[in-house]
Amino acid sequence: MTADYAIETIDLVKRYPTSRRSETGGAFFHHGPRSVQSLGGILSAIKGTEGPFIEALRGVNLKIKRGEFFGVLGPNGAGKTTLIKILCTLVLYDAGEVYVNGFNLEKEPEKVLKVLQAVLPESRGFSWRLTGRQNLEFYALLYGLKEKEAKKRIEYLLKFTQLEDRADDGYQRYSTGMQRKLLLCRTLLRDTPILLFDEPTVGLDPASAAEFRRMLNERLVKEEGKTILASTHNLYEAQEMCDRIAIIDRGKITACDTPDNIRYKMFEEKIINIAFQDARFDNEKDKMLDSLQEMSGFYGVTPEIDPDGSFRGISIRVDKNINLSSILEVVIRSGLRIWKINTVEPTLEDAFIAITGQRPGEPPGVRGFRRWRFR
Amino acid sequence: MEIPIGLKQVIAFTKRDFHSWITYKTAALTHLINIFVGVFSWGVRAAYVQKPVSEMYGSDYISFLVVGVAVSNLIMPLATGLRRQLNPWTLETILMTAVSTPVFVIGNVMWSYIFSIITFIPYLTIGIYVFGVQLNANIPCTILAFLISAAILMGLTMIATGFRIVTKSEDPITWAINVLENLFAGIAFPVVYLDVIFFPGISTFSWFLPQTWVFHLCRLSMLTNPSLLDPTTQTQFLQGAIFAFILFPVGYRIFQWGVKRSKREGTLGWY
Repeated sequence: MTADYAIETIDLVKRYPTSRRSETGGAFFHHGPRSVQSLGGILSAIKGTEGPFIEALRGVNLKIKRGEFFGVLGPNGAGKTTLIKILCTLVLYDAGEVYVNGFNLEKEPEKVLKVLQAVLPESRGFSWRLTGRQNLEFYALLYGLKEKEAKKRIEYLLKFTQLEDRADDGYQRYSTGMQRKLLLCRTLLRDTPILLFDEPTVGLDPASAAEFRRMLNERLVKEEGKTILASTHNLYEAQEMCDRIAIIDRGKITACDTPDNIRYKMFEEKIINIAFQDARFDNEKDKMLDSLQEMSGFYGVTPEIDPDGSFRGISIRVDKNINLSSILEVVIRSGLRIWKINTVEPTLEDAFIAITGQRPGEPPGVRGFRRWRFR
Repeated sequence: MEIPIGLKQVIAFTKRDFHSWITYKTAALTHLINIFVGVFSWGVRAAYVQKPVSEMYGSDYISFLVVGVAVSNLIMPLATGLRRQLNPWTLETILMTAVSTPVFVIGNVMWSYIFSIITFIPYLTIGIYVFGVQLNANIPCTILAFLISAAILMGLTMIATGFRIVTKSEDPITWAINVLENLFAGIAFPVVYLDVIFFPGISTFSWFLPQTWVFHLCRLSMLTNPSLLDPTTQTQFLQGAIFAFILFPVGYRIFQWGVKRSKREGTLGWY
């Protein structure tokens, strides 16, 4: 255990009883309190189950530094929400250790909640008939903020989220984007150093999502130095915002690094497209292609030749560490004039698919072998 | 003759709802029991409305009934307030604020209770001036009766809520409490009538129900002007207090068990 990290998990394990999941179809929202269930169902719910269990988290080890924007990526059902709910004390774990700002989550949950707050998409907890400001005042009281301090903080947060003009409107009149902003206000009321977000921009239109991302990244992490852990299956979001990401698949962390490193480490190859100017395909050019293929670290070439013999360019597949100048030397020696070169980099989505065998957001079970594609 | 499409559609809706309804066998059974309890309760009221209730309170039936209704409206929000606030959207969020269980429970019923106290006065005023209700209240006893009643009902509510968090359904405890209350707790008629309706001695069972004590202590305080110095009154209050002393901590533990169990199973957000 160390207080050097904002969040640290050591061999974290969480098992869920499968019978309880199947009763409700695993849905987070049951259809409201119903009339009396069958007595057998109620008794088995009260008695609990000895199994079988599904392992939502299987020995998760994470070390998240202070002031870091850390993303957790994974397909649906990979364990992202479970991890976040464990950290904010809404789910109890079965084995392992969790430390938040050095506090042991199991032994000191109250202290953990004083340094960490979470935004969960399904947990709004606002009264529809109250105004945005009244809702925030209610939570400020629950958090134990003094009246003057609360008022000042609420004003600051409403301004921060650009909600001040609509603060005295009823919550029921808020758009999805405004509701999300109010949720952010509530999460920031306590001014905790660590924030958790489960799918931070889900349900937001592209403009609101971009604004929300900017707010998190530029204001909260870069200016205020907060630590953010966000789960997402929006890879663009992850690549844009996160300092580091962990890819979680079937309850296990399968990769953890910066988005760029994850992209590069996953692949041994890259594609280079070279376009030529005023070139025609002839024997000399054919020999040039042969020379390229003899080079070490060269895996293949696709020439682009028009029916009239114009040599437009080549697309070559090479080792990611190949020396580009040696390729260019061969090309130029054949008398070709290079008009444009571009390297096609693997995207985070390519890496994600290579690691998990799934596209982000795909449900478990739609798993199959997919080859890495270049774009 | 061809059945009009509108009628066919109505039949389709009806068939769908019927097929859905018969899948809830326990619900269907409990619904039938509720009908029986309702008819029984109203039947007894109709049959005994003209008779005096002097056996227990030395009062007339209308005073007995109005006080019962007023008390019912005063204390029942304790049972419904928490339930109304309990949904995944608020529960998870509130728990993340790290409020303690007593604050959570009391906080969620407090406004309902304050509002009930406000509406308690019009109930009695209408009863007194419109229906000629004759109150003979002892204020210290009434306050004590309300405190004991509140503790009993909060205990029952916490028990029901704890189970409901785990079972995710209308729990059998709440349902059984409601049925037993309507049948045996003497809300609408003195429990001694049960001996006449069923068989002698059955009213003894009523005294094992906590709700009976809720209504009995309140009526005793408001209709008979008892003295807290009177040993008989003291015994009555002590018996009611025993229920409160048992139910409140038990309810608290069951509520905490429900939350913990739900956290362990990861079902806190399901409802």
